[in-house]
Parts: sequence; C-alpha cells; structure tokens
Amino acid sequence: MVSFLKRLFLIIFINFIDQNITLLFSKIFIIIPLTFLAFSFYVYKSYKNISPLEAFSFGFFVDLISDSYFGLNTIIYCSTTYFINQNANSFKLFSYLQICLFFGLSASAYVGFSQLIINLYNFSYETLLVSSFANIIFCFLIALIASYFPKRFSIKL
Amino acid sequence: MARAAPTFGQKLSFIFFITLGSLILYIDITSNNFQSIKNGFKSFKISSFYIAKEISIEPLKSILSHSKSKSQLVMENKNLREALELSYLNNYLISKENIFFKDKEIIKKAYNENKYKFEYDIAYLKSIDPNMYKCCDQHRMFIEIRQNTDNSYVESIVFNTEGLVGQIIGESKFYEVLLLTDISHSLPIKLNSSEFFCNAKGSGRSGYIICTYNPLVWTKEVKENQIFYTSGLGGIYPKDIEVGYVSSIEAVDSTQTNIEIKLLANPLNGNVFGVLSY
Repeated sequence: MVSFLKRLFLIIFINFIDQNITLLFSKIFIIIPLTFLAFSFYVYKSYKNISPLEAFSFGFFVDLISDSYFGLNTIIYCSTTYFINQNANSFKLFSYLQICLFFGLSASAYVGFSQLIINLYNFSYETLLVSSFANIIFCFLIALIASYFPKRFSIKL
Repeated sequence: MARAAPTFGQKLSFIFFITLGSLILYIDITSNNFQSIKNGFKSFKISSFYIAKEISIEPLKSILSHSKSKSQLVMENKNLREALELSYLNNYLISKENIFFKDKEIIKKAYNENKYKFEYDIAYLKSIDPNMYKCCDQHRMFIEIRQNTDNSYVESIVFNTEGLVGQIIGESKFYEVLLLTDISHSLPIKLNSSEFFCNAKGSGRSGYIICTYNPLVWTKEVKENQIFYTSGLGGIYPKDIEVGYVSSIEAVDSTQTNIEIKLLANPLNGNVFGVLSY
C-alpha cells in the first residue's frame, strides 16, 4: 500500500514537472513526455511483471490529472507494459545505447499518437521529428546520469 | 532475476484492457459523458490548491507583511491594480475610446431605445491550462463570477479589456468558457461593409480563428489587415463587435479559400473578465 502511494505521488509530482516544462519546450517544437517515460522506466526496472490492471489504473489516473481524453494514456500505458513485459528478458542482452533508443522512440510514438488524438487539426511532423531527437538525447542523458549517480540515492519503488 | 513472459491469460487481460481503453477513448471523444468527472476533478484541484495555499503560504505571507512595511505596500499596490483593472472593465462598454463596437454611438442608442440589455457581471479567472492553449485543439478556461445571481450564465459572452474571449458553455462550481480559438467554436463574422459574411471556426492555435468560404459564392475581395466584426447572426454574440484582422489568406482550391484572422483579445492577459448577458 505504501509502495503504491509512493508510486502515485511520484506520478503526480512528475506529471506536475511534465506540465510545467511542456510550456517551455513547446516554443521550440519539443515534447518530452516525462510521465510516460517515468512509467516505462518503472515497468522496465520492476523485478516482476506489471499487471494490466495496474497499467490501466495508472493510465486512467494520468488521463485524469493531465486533463486529456480518458483512454488515451490508458491504451498507451497498457501497450507499453505488455511490450516491456514480453521483452523484459531480451532487454538484458541489449546495450544501454539500444535501450535508450527504444525508450526514446517509444516516447516519440507516444507523442505522435497523443498529438493525433488531441491536436489532429494542427498535427506537425516538425514537432514529431524534433521531439524524437530530443527524447533520444534525453534518454541518453538520463542513462549517463544514472551510471555516474551514487546508487545509495536511488529510489526503491 | 529473470522475469517470466506473460502467460496466455495475461495476454488476454492486456487485450481486454486495451480494448476497454479504446472504447472509453472513443466515448470521450464523441460525447461529453466524462465531462462531469473532469469538471469535478478540476474543481477539487482548484479548491485544494487554494485551501493548501491558505493554510501554508498565506500565514507566512501575513507574518512577513507584519514584519515588513514594504510587503504591505506591495499588497496595497496589488489591490489598487486590481481595482484599476476592474474599473477599466466596468467602463469598457460605455467608454468612447474603446474598440469594442464598430459604431461608438451604439451604446447611447441602445440605452435610449432599450434595444439591448447590457448587463454584465465581473468574473475572475480560476484556471486556464496554458499548455493546452498553446499546443492543442481544446481551448477552455474556468472563471468564477462575482455577485453570482440566480441567472443562468450559459451562452453568455465573456470579454476582457482587449475584446471578445469566448462564451460560457457549462456551469458547476466554476463556469467553463469555450474560447474563440477552440476548434469546436464557431463565430459568425462579417466585414465592415456587410458585403461578406462567414462562420469563423477556432483554429486550435492560440490567437487565431479560420474563416472558410467559397469564392464562387462570395465574390467580395478580402484583403490582409481588414477588420472583421461579429455579424450577430448566431444569436449568442451581439453584432458589430470588433473581433480581429485578416493575417493571411490561403486559396485552397477554386471552391475554397481560408482566411486566417488574428484575434484582438488574448485570454491570458489579465485575470478579470466581463460576462455579458445579451
């Protein structure tokens, strides 16, 4: 229960940061879905398979707090969870570079899908392309920081 | 430790939840069934934010204001600014210098002939999502009307000191305003000469609305920087209010031309609004 609440508050906190940086980055056509990346990272790092109900609940909750259409994050979170669960063991064979590419590209897919739903009339390939590069670079940076950051400060979920 | 691949049952569960999510998404896009939940959550969020602010920040602020006379002056300045903004808004409709109406004499005529009922209430901004306003198709904001009477404000128009902002579409604890730039918003407009009419739809981009027309039907030439006014045909907005000017014209094909109109009013400027029951 405590662990669940911890995850919930972490999602709220990351979503708060996400919404604040979106305004800043939207001027340069970049969308970095921090909440989605955080959830994907949680599923990836988890020792056991994340249940579809948990992915659905988190997706639904994110839809509620981020004021998007209900079901948008739910579908993406469920699909991502399934994909990561399915390939969890294969990921262990991959290098950091490949993992970063995977997360960066899945974040771009998230941006593309969500823009198709919430911003269909002004869908921009420019935003999608620039966001893809930004997301991949962002994942590299996170991986670099994680490698050099002392392990004792890591959060246990 | 190795993670087991999802079993057949888990795969079925995933398929079930993805299908359920798709169904919910379809229902939410095509209908307004979840709007009450969203509005309820927004009200809860805004109220909790204010309560938390009252409990945590306000006492600290009051301690600081007691200790520093400077902060008291800042507060006084803030109150005076608010009062000034309010007086601007109050005088906005009757001011001769305003650009709200094309015909400046309309107010006098309206009062003399009892043609219009220009009663308006003051409203304060409660929430607007600038992210949604800058990036996405859905442009909404929430306002709180001061001295709220029993009247229904739905379909009342909302303006600020720069001009028209939108119309009220829903009421609960706070009033939901559909901004002019929302893609579901449609505004009947016309040129000064009354030789050209069209319905301008929200573009989904901040500050712009788009008027689409058939040049074979409307032969009147529209030029850049020409000013558009409300036509009053929709029954929501009074006629002859200045809306914006033509920023670009795009001929899509021989039967369709799009006119992009830059709006005069920006809802992000100022916290005080007028709600006009027309």
